Amino acid sequence: MSNYFNTLPLREKLNQLGVCDFMDSSEFLDGVNALKGKKLVVIGCGAQGLNQGLNLRDSGLDVSYTLRKEAIEGKRDSWKNATENNFTVGTYEELIPTADVVINLTPDKQHTAVVTAVMPLMKSGATLLYSHGFNIVEEGMQIRKDLTVIMVAPKCPGSEVRAEYVRGFGVPTLIAVHPENDPEGKGLLQAKAYCVGTGGHKAGVLKSSFVAEVKSDLMGEQTILCGLLQTGSILSFDKMVEKGIDPGYASKLVQYGVEVITEALKQGGITAMMDRLSNIAKIKAFEISEELKTIMRPLFQKHQDDIMSGEFSRIMMEDWANGDKNLLAWRAATGETAFEKTPAGDVKIGEQEYFDNYTLMVAFVRAGVELAFETMVEAGIKPESAYYESLHETPLIANTIARKKLFEMNRVISDTAEYGCYLFDYACKPLLADFMKTVDTELVGKNFNEGKDGAVDNRALIAVNEVIRSHQVELVGAELRKAMTAMKSIKTA
Amino acid sequence: MSNPVVHIHNLNLKYQQQPVLQDLYWTINRYDNWLLCGESGSGKTTLAKAIAGLIPSLEGDIQLNFDLSSALPAKVHYVANWYQFKDLEGASNFYYQQRYQSLATAITATVIAELTRFGNDQGLSFDTLEQLLTALGFAALKNSALLQLSSGEHKKLQLVKALWSKPQLLILDQPYNGLDKLSRANLNDLLIELSENGTQLIIISNETELPATINRFAVLAAGKLKEISSPESYTKQVEEIIKPLPSFLQREKVSDSTGISDSFFGLAPSSTTTVHIIKMIDVNIRYGDKQVLKNINWEVNAGEKWLLQGHNGSGKSTLLSLISGDHPQAYANNFYLFGNKRGTGESIWEIKERIGLISPELHWYFDASATVWQSIASGFYDSSGLYCSPGSTKHAQVDELVEYFGLTAYKNTLMNELPLGKQRLTLLARTIVKNPAILILDEPCQGLDQQQTQHFNKLVDELCKDGTTLIYVGHFDSQLPACIERRLLLEDGAVKSVEHLLQSI
Repeated sequence: MSNYFNTLPLREKLNQLGVCDFMDSSEFLDGVNALKGKKLVVIGCGAQGLNQGLNLRDSGLDVSYTLRKEAIEGKRDSWKNATENNFTVGTYEELIPTADVVINLTPDKQHTAVVTAVMPLMKSGATLLYSHGFNIVEEGMQIRKDLTVIMVAPKCPGSEVRAEYVRGFGVPTLIAVHPENDPEGKGLLQAKAYCVGTGGHKAGVLKSSFVAEVKSDLMGEQTILCGLLQTGSILSFDKMVEKGIDPGYASKLVQYGVEVITEALKQGGITAMMDRLSNIAKIKAFEISEELKTIMRPLFQKHQDDIMSGEFSRIMMEDWANGDKNLLAWRAATGETAFEKTPAGDVKIGEQEYFDNYTLMVAFVRAGVELAFETMVEAGIKPESAYYESLHETPLIANTIARKKLFEMNRVISDTAEYGCYLFDYACKPLLADFMKTVDTELVGKNFNEGKDGAVDNRALIAVNEVIRSHQVELVGAELRKAMTAMKSIKTA
Repeated sequence: MSNPVVHIHNLNLKYQQQPVLQDLYWTINRYDNWLLCGESGSGKTTLAKAIAGLIPSLEGDIQLNFDLSSALPAKVHYVANWYQFKDLEGASNFYYQQRYQSLATAITATVIAELTRFGNDQGLSFDTLEQLLTALGFAALKNSALLQLSSGEHKKLQLVKALWSKPQLLILDQPYNGLDKLSRANLNDLLIELSENGTQLIIISNETELPATINRFAVLAAGKLKEISSPESYTKQVEEIIKPLPSFLQREKVSDSTGISDSFFGLAPSSTTTVHIIKMIDVNIRYGDKQVLKNINWEVNAGEKWLLQGHNGSGKSTLLSLISGDHPQAYANNFYLFGNKRGTGESIWEIKERIGLISPELHWYFDASATVWQSIASGFYDSSGLYCSPGSTKHAQVDELVEYFGLTAYKNTLMNELPLGKQRLTLLARTIVKNPAILILDEPCQGLDQQQTQHFNKLVDELCKDGTTLIYVGHFDSQLPACIERRLLLEDGAVKSVEHLLQSI
């Protein structure tokens, strides 16, 4: 198997990278009809598998689960999840041959093995559904020509997919049809029906391609979403301890601060996040985020280049073959950082205090979101896709840090994201060493406004606001957020 | 002469810039046990929280004088009328259907783990716990996860903690909400015992069946406290204005009284002779080894008015969750809704469309960040919170209902800024806004005062005149709609009796 993207001529590369259409709700008027009466068989019953299955069944569809023999015989958690909720469970041999749609919700790393095992059992003309395109695009998995290959990717953890559905809403979702595998032209209809079945059609659906999804998803998760949040958190904590701030306070500020700060980002973009700062703090945060952008731009570009060329996947798959040697070593090292090991102190930090005392993180978030967005767009990814994979997902990841710090974040995200996150983190920390020498507690740990006259020059403030507000990520974001107005605010500490 | 236990002097308190308590005075002497009553929104909860030290900034003076010679802990314990539990990761983002689903890995602590944590924090002796659990009928739930408890069971857990910690002053805010008759009587016995051992009580409630140790009574109105001679003397100026039902709720429903339309499920109903809305044949629900419903056989025909009763934990909510499309095990049972077997291609939204549902759990987990108006409008879509624009006809209907329920002043207020009674009225309006063919009202009047309860039950009678099917859960025979004609009684998850009630109760 060879990298699918690299087999394409440039024209087709650009063509597939550029698929991006924010779908109108009228596209979903046919409901679940395209899947009604069809047999849906889900492979795997973890959080995504179980919750998507519960939604699909409650939407009137016929859902069952197939697990490996060992999982069934060993009555593993996946088996319990499915049987205790009264789903039919069977082996691949028992269920795959009858399936009209096979839904692969196993981790990336298992895709090649799983798809190789189920493909020969699938009936002619059936559909194979992925929620991530890595296997098709990076590993170049070839799917039998009679099969339809589609992707439906809810952009939230599995528990949220269920919670939002039963509330009567849904989560934003990305769909795609693999152009090499749409022999009957039914891929899009089925993907849309699946979206209605999980409730995604109510919260905004982006039509993408396998290629655009993979190349933007990898970029987002490695740089702004996980990589920079990890780097920023560790550097902030270490700086505070170095400057004599109480470690318990520092730990709490970092653990919950990123969630509070990015909640403003979720509601109203970079503009709303920056507006939570005082005028003088905003100008300062703007200045250092510009500096951070200059320092980190080459690193963001390198990540994007390696993702586009397939170099990133190649070295990661080498590590898979090597028993995850690097991944496990990096994971262990993250667990040993002072931030991870210092419990959050029993101190009350007010909501506004998270902004006033953590200006540095506001600057990190602005720099990271804008850089990731700009780098993706420069590489041919459409702005709407770039928005989803940068700004939109940042609060979701921040929420995992608030729950249980970096360990939790790295546990929740995919192995692929985790690998890329460490890769970024290890390159980024030395890059920021000189910059961090200039940072003092007024930017992290203490109130930036303390002891300062809050006056600003009108023209300077207007100029800063203008730059923040007219950035393309803000213009695109304002449009896309309209469809997600009902997104629940995350309860902050 | 000892100092008063609580001495409140000139207390002023505002909530969202509105005065709640104004120049309030209250002296609680040793051996006083008070009942505090008053309308929803009169400030009862606020006053209780102020005494318990839970309100950081207030104007005026609250002195607490504990008996230092007493063996009881010198503290106030406040049992809230509303509380949130958290999952193991400290979040509380739950939804009400969640407790019916099964997830192999536990996400909340068990009852016993929670009690152990509480006991250790407070330094309590575990010897007395067992007895308390048994007395409140809670022993069997020790190993249940917090997420699996019903609202009545959660209430009991809070009461167990309060009774166990034996504080010198115990404030109970609406302690009877969600408790069945037997549990109320048991609670009152335990409170008598507690007060004989030196704990003083303040009970906030509009109920009249109180522990005999309650010896002082007060009503809170217009920000001030007024002592009264007995709870019975707290009767509001009864405004017997029966407002006419909003016109859009008076429509003829006869043609659609079965809840079955030709297009429903895309099929004609399988039985054309009897129009059963619900038919359960040997329905069983179990979680692991625990069986919560046992061989339920029950048939409900169009237009019937049912009362569903049973003790806390007898399976009422689970039974209703099957009907409202909220229980995943519906798919594994022999069970018909609207003439069609469950799990034959229908979606839960098609089911919910026909049903107006309210329950303590629905209220508990409802999206409190929506306004009153949005919450009522969400009834058209069976969603928790509003996600689309309802259009002008529905808009006008919501306005009319807001007015009818006396909520006009709160129309744009967020639910989480309102007292529970007002929230409940809002959700009652949400339940009926689409004038559904089937009403499932699970303790609908919890948290309302007696007059509001009467009003609502009259409204239910009115709505049920023209063929609406009703399933009503209520523990108290004096607080039921008049139209009820049949009763299903559950005990330990099984049908104990099915009766015709010839006379209205």
